[in-house]
Amino acid sequence: MRAVLVGPFEWRTWRQVLYAVAGVVLSAPALLVPVVLVVVVPAGLVGVGLPLVVGVLLLARRLPRWFGLLSRPLLGWELPPPPPLRGRTLLGLARLVLVDGRGWRAAVYAFVKVPLAFVSAYVAVVGTLFAVMLIFSPVWWAVGADDLSPVGVDRRGDTAYVSAIGVVSLFLFPWLLRGLVALDRALATLLLGPGPAAERIDELVTSRAALTADAAATLRRLERDLHDGTQARLVALGMTLARIEKRLGPDEHEALALVDAARGGVTDALDELREIVRGIHPPALDAGLPTALGTLAARSGLPVTVSVSLDRTPSADAATTVYFTAAELLSNAAKHAGARTVELSLSGADGWLRLVVTDDGRGGAAASSTGTGLRGLIARARALDGRLEVSSPDGGPTTVVLSLPGA
Amino acid sequence: MRTVIAEDNVLMRDGMSALLGDHDVSVLAAVSDAAGLLAAVEEHRPDVAIVDVRMPPTFTDEGVRAAIAIRSAYPETGVLVFSQWVETVYANQLLRDHPERVGYLLKDRIVSTAAFLDALRRIADGGVALDPEVIRQLLSAPTVDAGLARLTPREREILALLAEGRSNVAIAADLRLAGRSVEKHVTAIFTKLDLPPAPTDHRRVRAVLRYLEAQRLSTQ
Repeated sequence: MRAVLVGPFEWRTWRQVLYAVAGVVLSAPALLVPVVLVVVVPAGLVGVGLPLVVGVLLLARRLPRWFGLLSRPLLGWELPPPPPLRGRTLLGLARLVLVDGRGWRAAVYAFVKVPLAFVSAYVAVVGTLFAVMLIFSPVWWAVGADDLSPVGVDRRGDTAYVSAIGVVSLFLFPWLLRGLVALDRALATLLLGPGPAAERIDELVTSRAALTADAAATLRRLERDLHDGTQARLVALGMTLARIEKRLGPDEHEALALVDAARGGVTDALDELREIVRGIHPPALDAGLPTALGTLAARSGLPVTVSVSLDRTPSADAATTVYFTAAELLSNAAKHAGARTVELSLSGADGWLRLVVTDDGRGGAAASSTGTGLRGLIARARALDGRLEVSSPDGGPTTVVLSLPGA
Repeated sequence: MRTVIAEDNVLMRDGMSALLGDHDVSVLAAVSDAAGLLAAVEEHRPDVAIVDVRMPPTFTDEGVRAAIAIRSAYPETGVLVFSQWVETVYANQLLRDHPERVGYLLKDRIVSTAAFLDALRRIADGGVALDPEVIRQLLSAPTVDAGLARLTPREREILALLAEGRSNVAIAADLRLAGRSVEKHVTAIFTKLDLPPAPTDHRRVRAVLRYLEAQRLSTQ
């Protein structure tokens, strides 16, 4: 009951009134999109009108932004614009525009929005303006200006009824308007929004990015713990053994031999630890890819020319992927390709991070061949929405290009 | 010998101080970061500063940068940089501008006290001490440097030991060779690398630098 009584006095109601009235203004030009689309689609079917269809659809893809002009400030709805389509060629882009559902759905919304906007505006105007005029019916009668009343009244006594109707409609229209706005919202979500499949994809992309970032962070922490904890403890243990040794007399052969063996054990454990850490997270990555790749090149057993040109620091998981890809490719070049020299270059441009590794070996590398680990590298690149391309004709040279987005 | 230690791990810091104390090496200060290190060096002017690569605040290469700063500001103070892992790039940076009184070793080497103390002494005497692991990485690459390519396997072996900073006597003992024949090999190496006559120690360092430069690392 209380909700009914406060209805006309809530800000929300008046924002919805404004939305309903202005919606007519907004939906009128938008109607052009579905109308023109209906006209040009038959022409498009025979081919000649196809560029026109694509053009109208591109316009339709801007509709969420257009309708958002009102809905965002007044009602707080976010209507995310469709992501830009990336076609390599003009023809590819046109194909994507035609196939993508967002433009078509937005056009449908523009079409159904028109009647909905008019009904909403009618309810809003009747609910406010006319209700107020009805309520003041007795006043109009009294001052002799009863033309102002929207309903003709013959007797003075009837003005009370008319006034009562005005009051009732003033308290009821917010609910009717609310229902219409809810319907509008459902349609907008369905037709202007990304759609359930796209939303699911968005969720998956976000959660996968969080997962890979988390995995990278975990490995990094593990490396820290091993270096700053386990390694330090082992070295400290070795130092204590050395001090014990120093305190033993020269004739305590047995004890000396035991301490020496223990020290050897500590050294072996440290060697093993270093190998393990190298496979987990190369610590040099913390100092940046140029440093890490430089050391990788020096360790590879082949003369490697390294060139790095980055305008910004890649993300941690991109850097890790670049590092392990470079490591695997360098080891392939040495082990399988019989290469004599390798060129390794890393660059960032147009939002892509590109690692190019070229060797002068015998070629013939393929993702399917066993032992080269190329399949693993391709999976690794895909996990970051990147790709790995291999060109390796028999007789060489082999060129592998890793491209990662978001650099 | 007078030293200062910069190491953020308490266990390591205390262990190293105690170990050096056992061997009559005085530790004038033991600090936990690069800023503390620079202040301690300014105050004590030690023979050698022992520096951990990874220290607060960023835990990346603070130690290397502090070591380079010390080498340019205090020519009489040597630095021995300890790293939890080996980066040839760091070795290169350390040796590039001041190829003397510098050492770069894996932390693991502390366990073999003799090698650790030997490295400290060599640095204090104006020499170089590089970790065998660094040398191994550098030597595993068939080099494109013509001079280096002319070396015989034996000469490469000796150059590796030279690069670590060993003396002729130590090399002779290591390889069970006569002192005279080591000298002959070393002279041959200098000739093949086209290194002009100079005080022996300087030529040794130059030979090491040839190795590092041969890596042709061109990072922009």
